[in-house]
Amino acid sequence: MANNDIKELIIITTLIFLLAPAFLLSYIFVYNRRKKRHIEEKAQLKLVFESELVKTQMEIQEQTMQTIGVELHDNIGQLLSLTSLTLNSIELDNPDKAQQKIGAAIELNLKSIKEMRMLGKLLHGEQLVKQGLEEAIRSEISWIEKSGRFMVTYQVDGEKPVAGNADKDLILFRITQELFNNVIKHSQAANISVKLCFSADEVRLLIIDDGAGFDINNLPETQKGMGLKNIQKRAEIVGGRVFIQSQPGEGTCIEIGIPYP
Amino acid sequence: MWRYFTINTVSELICSIIALICLSKDKNKVWCSWIVFLILICITELAGINIKIKYIKELDYLKAHPHFQMTVKPNVWIYNILLLFQASFISLLFDNLLKRYINSKPLITIGLAIFSMLYIYELIQHGPFIKHNITTTVLAVIFIIYSFNYFYLLLEDDNYLDLKYSAEFWWVSGTLLFYFGSIASLIFFQILTKLDPHFEVTVPIYKILNIILYSCWSYSFICRRWLTTTSKS
Repeated sequence: MANNDIKELIIITTLIFLLAPAFLLSYIFVYNRRKKRHIEEKAQLKLVFESELVKTQMEIQEQTMQTIGVELHDNIGQLLSLTSLTLNSIELDNPDKAQQKIGAAIELNLKSIKEMRMLGKLLHGEQLVKQGLEEAIRSEISWIEKSGRFMVTYQVDGEKPVAGNADKDLILFRITQELFNNVIKHSQAANISVKLCFSADEVRLLIIDDGAGFDINNLPETQKGMGLKNIQKRAEIVGGRVFIQSQPGEGTCIEIGIPYP
Repeated sequence: MWRYFTINTVSELICSIIALICLSKDKNKVWCSWIVFLILICITELAGINIKIKYIKELDYLKAHPHFQMTVKPNVWIYNILLLFQASFISLLFDNLLKRYINSKPLITIGLAIFSMLYIYELIQHGPFIKHNITTTVLAVIFIIYSFNYFYLLLEDDNYLDLKYSAEFWWVSGTLLFYFGSIASLIFFQILTKLDPHFEVTVPIYKILNIILYSCWSYSFICRRWLTTTSKS
């Protein structure tokens, strides 16, 4: 009986000792399948991120082209037309008046050249982002200020990490552009304050305006899905967050924080 | 003749043939050397059976003629010699598999040092004609630790490996199942020699374990030859 007990014990122990690694192997299989799924998801996310990056680049280019179009038509075009008119109206019989008009034409021409140079700078907008987010935002602000409708204050706090992150710079720049578009189109603000803060592991962008403001919870359906959702989506793609604070008549404060670099 | 064809010898022979077909052109010398090891196992197993047959014959003769002296010793010594090759070849392949993830040299060296010390100790203690049970048990534990270590590193690794077709995974799985499954029999070996002198319990256990081991190893060699897509370094 004792012999049989020991034999049974050995058989049961062996079975248990065989089942334990069998369970371990099953677990490894399950874990490995999860690992595969995780890798696929990561690849998918990377694809989404890359496509979003391309989309962002395209949008920046589109916006640049739009600005250039408007500038050429409204500003440089007008200046050149005026130059042409001035030159056409010169009467060579009246040297004093002619001298005056030539002077005016030269002045108009110089103004056109200055505007063209600024446009040239704008054309290199993407390169500007590559040189630094601070500079790109500064250049964007100088265009807003040119309209004369807004008073913009711009402040950069902290040191940008040397390593940087070109992709995040591009996305944050596009978010800034979209926010400025919103301010220009809807806010009716007079003052805009822009603050860019670099800390050890994060970059924060703060845009405050004293415009009409809006009720976040009662945005019309047509407006809801556009700019703000896009901004939120973009920030989330790079692991960031967006805080919006606004009340009708009390301006708007938007803060975007993105892990950086 | 048919006495030589047991479940163990047949599974070992099939595994050796598969190894010969699959590993003969393998660029990795460690995997390639396994053909030699498996042939050694087959030779040992067949020689063991041969010695056993002669021993039984002499035992019968002795019963009829008690004044004669026995010339043939039981076949345990040949398995004790095989133990040396077993420790070397399996450790070598584990070293090859683990070094992909860690510096495996210290671990393998410690394992082989423990094995050598115990082997010499048992050799001095009771000579080569009694099974080196402590050495075999400790060696099994060492291989189990290596296997767990391999699986841990496999889980930790960020890269995905298709386990269904991974030669390494199946080889380690076979090794782990065999040695983990045989632990109970090894621990109770001393008691079993007294209670079960004809090994009625352990023989079927080892038959099942051998089938599992050689099936896993054979499939691993097939994966190595045809199915593994990772670099064979």
